Amino acid sequence: MSGDHTGDEYDLNAVMNGKADGGVPHGSILSAFAEGICRNDRAATATARAAVVEAMGEAAMVDAAAVIAAFNAYPRAADATGIPLEDAKAEMTVGLREDLGLEAFNTGGV
Amino acid sequence: MSDPFADVPATTRGDIRAALPIARQRLAEPGAWLTGAERVAVAAEVRQSWNCALCNERKNALSPYTVAGEHDHLGALPAAWLDIVHPLTTDSGRLTRAWYQGIRDAGVAEDEFVEIVSVTIVAVVMDSLMIGVGAEPPALPEPVAGEPKRVRAEEATLGPGWVSTIAPENVRPRMADYYANESYFYIRRSLTLVPEELPKYWDLMDPLYMSDPRVEELGDLKRSINRAQIEFLAARSSALLGCFY
Repeated sequence: MSGDHTGDEYDLNAVMNGKADGGVPHGSILSAFAEGICRNDRAATATARAAVVEAMGEAAMVDAAAVIAAFNAYPRAADATGIPLEDAKAEMTVGLREDLGLEAFNTGGV
Repeated sequence: MSDPFADVPATTRGDIRAALPIARQRLAEPGAWLTGAERVAVAAEVRQSWNCALCNERKNALSPYTVAGEHDHLGALPAAWLDIVHPLTTDSGRLTRAWYQGIRDAGVAEDEFVEIVSVTIVAVVMDSLMIGVGAEPPALPEPVAGEPKRVRAEEATLGPGWVSTIAPENVRPRMADYYANESYFYIRRSLTLVPEELPKYWDLMDPLYMSDPRVEELGDLKRSINRAQIEFLAARSSALLGCFY
């Protein structure tokens, strides 16, 4: 997968497994930071935070925490209200969703 | 009174710094369907849910719906409300239509449900940010007195999920700009059944992420991480929560 505007290449499997940086600068430590916060694990978050600050600086750490916090909202709003993916987005991402196994998460209709 | 957000890092952007105390105070004010006391009790229960043995057991089960029991709770909310707040906080990726129907069958009005969801999410987000940056989550505010008006948004229609929402074509003047800039994403529509709740929710979320994700790279936004890192974090967080959206 490539960035539309930058031409950079990204491996989005890192989004699902958290085991690599996916080609995103500092992706591995950002992934660990997201994991700590999303699991409400303060010890893991503290360790990951220190790594992010060391590699990227405090302002970057705060901006990263802000994005993770925001994405503790949107998925919850979607999952609580059962909203589906828009048709156009579903069509655009059909291959990607298959590759990443995203449909495994689509259990809301049960 | 001391600043409840005094220990956020000095490098925190001004728009985030400004949004936090407003979001916290709005938790305490009467909503459209919940009193201030009920809203603060929901926020308190969000924190409690992380220590709930039943939630922990359900989180580790193949299906959370095979594990029966009672939540460890603070005693201020009805059982049906706990069944919203706790799983929405600890295991949101496995919420189902049947879960929602059970909540409704237990007597929770659709509009109440949406406001409880909104308050729960705002509390989760505020605490997530504070834990992330290494600051202590703020003390919850004292509830503000007053009664909710409990007036249904008559322009709402069922869908696109299992709750009613206000579609772009049905908005009334009070939401005239809500779908501006073609922001018709379903995620923006999800909580519109309670229009009064929308600024309380989006005024916090927009500075944390961005108000218009369609901008090329970062547009005019000032961030200390790049767009690829932002979207990577967004996708990774969604995956960790088990969300397909």
